[in-house]
Amino acid sequence: MKELDLLKKDWQKNVNSFEQVSESEIYKMIHKRSSSIVKWIFIISIIEFVLLNSLSFLFPDEQMSKSGVIDAFIDVLDYLSYGVALFFMYLFYKNYRSISVTSNTKKLMECIINTRKTVKYYIAYNLSLILFISLLLVFYRVQHSPIWTSADTPKIIFTCLISVFLILVLLVFVWLFYQLIYGILLKKLNRNYVELKKIDL
Amino acid sequence: MSDNLEHSFVKQLQENQNIIHKICRLYTNGDDAHKDLFQEITIQLWKAFPKFRGDSKFSTWAYRVALNTAITLYRKTKRSINTIEFEGRHHFLNDVEYDYEEEEQLKLMYKAVYQLNDIEKALIFMYLEDKDYQEISETLGISEVNARVKMNRIKGKLKKILNPLGI
Repeated sequence: MKELDLLKKDWQKNVNSFEQVSESEIYKMIHKRSSSIVKWIFIISIIEFVLLNSLSFLFPDEQMSKSGVIDAFIDVLDYLSYGVALFFMYLFYKNYRSISVTSNTKKLMECIINTRKTVKYYIAYNLSLILFISLLLVFYRVQHSPIWTSADTPKIIFTCLISVFLILVLLVFVWLFYQLIYGILLKKLNRNYVELKKIDL
Repeated sequence: MSDNLEHSFVKQLQENQNIIHKICRLYTNGDDAHKDLFQEITIQLWKAFPKFRGDSKFSTWAYRVALNTAITLYRKTKRSINTIEFEGRHHFLNDVEYDYEEEEQLKLMYKAVYQLNDIEKALIFMYLEDKDYQEISETLGISEVNARVKMNRIKGKLKKILNPLGI
């Protein structure tokens, strides 16, 4: 392709057409903060871990104090979820450390996607846990409220359905918001990863 | 020690900065975006520098980090290409004898290259830099055969952009 040869010739000839950056400018640059997506993923993930873990402290305890069984069950879940959180954080840290800008492009992209997936699974796990506990609470509350003893079945079902619906709406909203953040953050990376993978198909 | 490291890095980068400028030229449009990407690549190079062993040339090592930063780590996406900006920014005819036809062809060619996607640009960039297919495949993490196939497809794509009717 003769146009490409022409371009190559021109490309290699025009090395000196760039405005040169001085050494003192480079010194300044290396002390500035990076704005790379890896840094953003790191910051957002840490915020997510902290937020989700502090969420359990926000759940009011008093409403369950009457039931020993559910109380004990939620206690167990609590301890379990600390273990799970630690496990996810370990995975996240391991994946994060494996991100190296000197690996080949495909490997780098895979490492970033994996790091991000760890947090995604953590979020999914937490949202399902919240859903599960909320459902438990809804039924517990309904069972202990006056409408239960009134034996008004349609009313009971209606109350349950409305509560479940509201919880679901809330969780879907949280999930969508979450997807949006990462969608914006990783749009370019995902596009390029698909493109790169297509070459090797 | 760290001062020495810093000094050695700055010196080598200063000498090899055209590699980064070329990548910035390919992946951004406009001076601000160029400077922004240049800075991000510099930061990434500096962060990775302690692991640079010197068993490859600084420039070879810098190619990889710079390309990875432009394709993967750099968040801001490019806006559509502004022709006026494009023509004002490139002075590729400064020291060439005036050949109108060649100039036109070059302009079109640069414009066509800008229309490629990020991965295709990476391949074209390494081709323009006279890298062999082994290095291209190692840098991108694709097989050598597929790198060749892709390169041929890109040439086809460029041809099509230059001459959409195929005349």
